[in-house]
Amino acid sequence: MLVEHIVVKEVTKRFPGTLALDKVSFTVYRGEIHALLGENGAGKSTLVKILYGIYTPDEGEVYINGKKLVITSPRDAVAHGIVLVSQTPTLINDLTIVENIILSLRHYNLFTRTRRVYSEVYSVLESLGLGIDPNTEVYKLTYTQKQMIEIARALLLKAKVLLLDEATSYLPLTEKKKLFDFLKKYVKKGNSVILITHKLPEALEISDRITVLRKGKVVGTVEKKKADITVIRRMMFGDTEFAPEAIKQRESIGNGVTLFIENLWVKGELGEYMVRNVTLSVRKGEILGIAGITGSGQIELFEAIMGLRKVERGIIKIDGVDTTNKDTGFIRSLGVGYIPDNPLEHGLSIDHTLAENIALCPKYSSFIIDWHAIRQDADRLVREYGIVTPSINTPIKLLSGGNLMKMLISRELEYATKLLVAYNPTRGLDEYTANKVRRNIKEKKAKEGLSVIFASEDLDEIFELSDTIAVMNSGRIVGVFDKYRATRDRVEELMVM
Amino acid sequence: MASISLVVVKRVKPLPSWVAPLLSFTLGIAVATVLLWIVTLGRTDPIVVLASIGRALAMPQLLLKNFALLTIVGIGLLVSFKASVFNIGGEGQFYFAIIAATWIALFSGVGAIAIINKVLMLVVGVLLAGFWALIAALPRGFLGIDEVPVTLLMNYIAYYIVDYLVFNPWREPKYKYPRTPTIPEESWFIRIPGTTGTIELILLTVVVMAGIWYLMNNTRLGLAINVMGSNPNVLRVVGINPSLIVVSSLVISGMIVGIAGVSYLAGEAHLITIPAEACTPMLGYTGILVAWLSMLRIAYVPVAAYIVSALINAGINIQIAGAGKASVVDVFIGTILLIYSISVIFTEYSVKIIVKR
Ligand SMILES: Nc1ncnc2c1ncn2[C@@H]1O[C@H](COP(=O)(O)OP(=O)(O)OP(=O)(O)O)[C@@H](O)[C@H]1O
Ligand SMILES: [Mg+2]
Repeated sequence: MLVEHIVVKEVTKRFPGTLALDKVSFTVYRGEIHALLGENGAGKSTLVKILYGIYTPDEGEVYINGKKLVITSPRDAVAHGIVLVSQTPTLINDLTIVENIILSLRHYNLFTRTRRVYSEVYSVLESLGLGIDPNTEVYKLTYTQKQMIEIARALLLKAKVLLLDEATSYLPLTEKKKLFDFLKKYVKKGNSVILITHKLPEALEISDRITVLRKGKVVGTVEKKKADITVIRRMMFGDTEFAPEAIKQRESIGNGVTLFIENLWVKGELGEYMVRNVTLSVRKGEILGIAGITGSGQIELFEAIMGLRKVERGIIKIDGVDTTNKDTGFIRSLGVGYIPDNPLEHGLSIDHTLAENIALCPKYSSFIIDWHAIRQDADRLVREYGIVTPSINTPIKLLSGGNLMKMLISRELEYATKLLVAYNPTRGLDEYTANKVRRNIKEKKAKEGLSVIFASEDLDEIFELSDTIAVMNSGRIVGVFDKYRATRDRVEELMVM
Repeated sequence: MASISLVVVKRVKPLPSWVAPLLSFTLGIAVATVLLWIVTLGRTDPIVVLASIGRALAMPQLLLKNFALLTIVGIGLLVSFKASVFNIGGEGQFYFAIIAATWIALFSGVGAIAIINKVLMLVVGVLLAGFWALIAALPRGFLGIDEVPVTLLMNYIAYYIVDYLVFNPWREPKYKYPRTPTIPEESWFIRIPGTTGTIELILLTVVVMAGIWYLMNNTRLGLAINVMGSNPNVLRVVGINPSLIVVSSLVISGMIVGIAGVSYLAGEAHLITIPAEACTPMLGYTGILVAWLSMLRIAYVPVAAYIVSALINAGINIQIAGAGKASVVDVFIGTILLIYSISVIFTEYSVKIIVKR
């Protein structure tokens, strides 16, 4: 028998210049995993933030267990058993995992022993398949690991309704499987899950029903049994044509070496070697994809290339110029674009506007900023990548997660003339935009000879985008394959070896 | 073994930014008035105090000088605060500019040629003030040494250097008072009749406001200073050296404060009296209040400066009315700043407690 757990009725939410939700109604039944899908900026995060009390609706009502509720703060929401794992991690960097969790848990109080919490946290992390010591400081974790910690925190909060805003997208396969098994058991106990994701196959695999949002409106809700991926795509994107896949990749690779790395050793945040004796080269017009589970040294490798982390031993050359331990400004001036691991912390200043974030980059502006020219650049990027924003003078923290990422990618891709260094280049993008970004990258490499080194926690993306695939494991390159010779099984095997 | 730690957590929904300034002005004046009434056992009549403040607010011509000086200092400090660099050294930079300007006016030999002298006083004053700020800026920028104690201590060093100079080589020869000779009248800024201000001071205020507005809004340095304050990591990644931005913001800050120093000498004091630590108009410190109350927005600096300079004049009114000393205004300024600092923290953050055992 179906029991209504959460009912959202005619909810409308306006932001200055945006109608984020337009009379949205939908129902989550007790015991179901309900997927919430939609393109970037559709209003998914806004909807779950309303349920979590971060925003209050302008119009409309929310019922929990048949009772009308006005949720005005996350504290309220947690008291009603609703917990959000947000798109961007909210943990405090200087504290350890345990300390962070104590902070947010109400049933722990001043007199709770850290040691008791430690063991509870440990066992939840264990059940999620996470081998991280709960006493680790949060700043040492990767973006993906932080999201996993947030999931653990929500579970410890004894959530009855779990709102997962793109928190599962980048979990490594084994962890994801564990989490999904866990969620299935979890909803059997009468709990519910709202899952936001851009990975349609994932939504189809795990959810019971799917609701699609488009431009703030509900397009429809379908049962998983009756859904198929093309129908869902159509609901999400309408008749938008997906980019054809027509670029001949191989032919564009030249002979010159753009990025040359030899016997590289780089230390990580904890002072131990994260990059061990890595030798790699990327030719002109070549895309090198690095496959590897989170924390295999990809981030440290990229930071070293960008001059953001000290090279202990070894050489890095870009287009023949020795850039080992050189200043980041110098390295970027060679025409190197960069998409970092945590875009909101390292890539963009979210308090500033889209135009300002562009003007900050040396290539777009000289000492005196020509705002007229910047506006033209900004408008072009907005148009080209379909960035949804009220204006280019809106602080970008008001953009949706995917639109923020579009902003960063468009700026960096345009900035890069020689080399693009990218970590999870399509994180948070909807299928259509992710496709488009991959196509733009390929186009730029084919037409302008751009070289690319990227890492992705998504193997599909590695296979889709790379000319050459390198597998990284515990700081070492354990295999390099031509794309057409590599098999998924072999790559996965090397990743976890 | 138990240890307690306080953790400050950023609010998911910050309170609106005008809450803090409004609250601190109203509550600050109320609390300070009551406080004075209690401490003086009823001798400072709250009505007289409030009336004095009201009267001061209504007489702009009398607060022109302090208003303009505080606007300049406030703008100067704002440049460093924007980068999250806390220049508490306004006093030292102010006095270093005065040292330079005094030397030009008295000993350089150009003292009698008004225009050259004034320009030179400004240029050399600004440069020396910037140099004084640079001494604190370099260790902050490149070694990460906290600028707050450094700039604060350097204020006292500056006072003592002034005291030494004036007590020894620069002492006025006639009566041997602890002060310098008056600078030549040709080097004085020109008083606007009926007011406390001078023409040059008003011009400089306008130029400083326009110049800093331009710097902050139309140059990459200004943008980088802004970004430095909210996310220095981004600068590094984009390829801008955060150390250079820190140094620039503190040096520019000091230079602007130096303009106020020169204006104070040429428009108001006309000589240096010692001990500096007792004779200072304290604008370097009061300017901190002005900068904070403006919420670090250039357009609001004059507003904050107006209110604060009215409070300073109110102190004088209170003294005239016989209800207390002019220094009661320090109680007001201190209370407002205290309430402001507290409320600003609570608009953005809430505090939680963790006990570890
Ligand atoms: N606080 C805010 N102020 C102004 N506009 C906002 C705010 N939050 C969201 N918006 C706008 O509302 C719209 C919906 O945003 P939302 O974050 O819900 O999208 P989303 O579906 O989660 O997209 P994504 O897949 O990119 O995360 C966007 O156009 C966004 O710019
Ligand atoms: Mg979102």
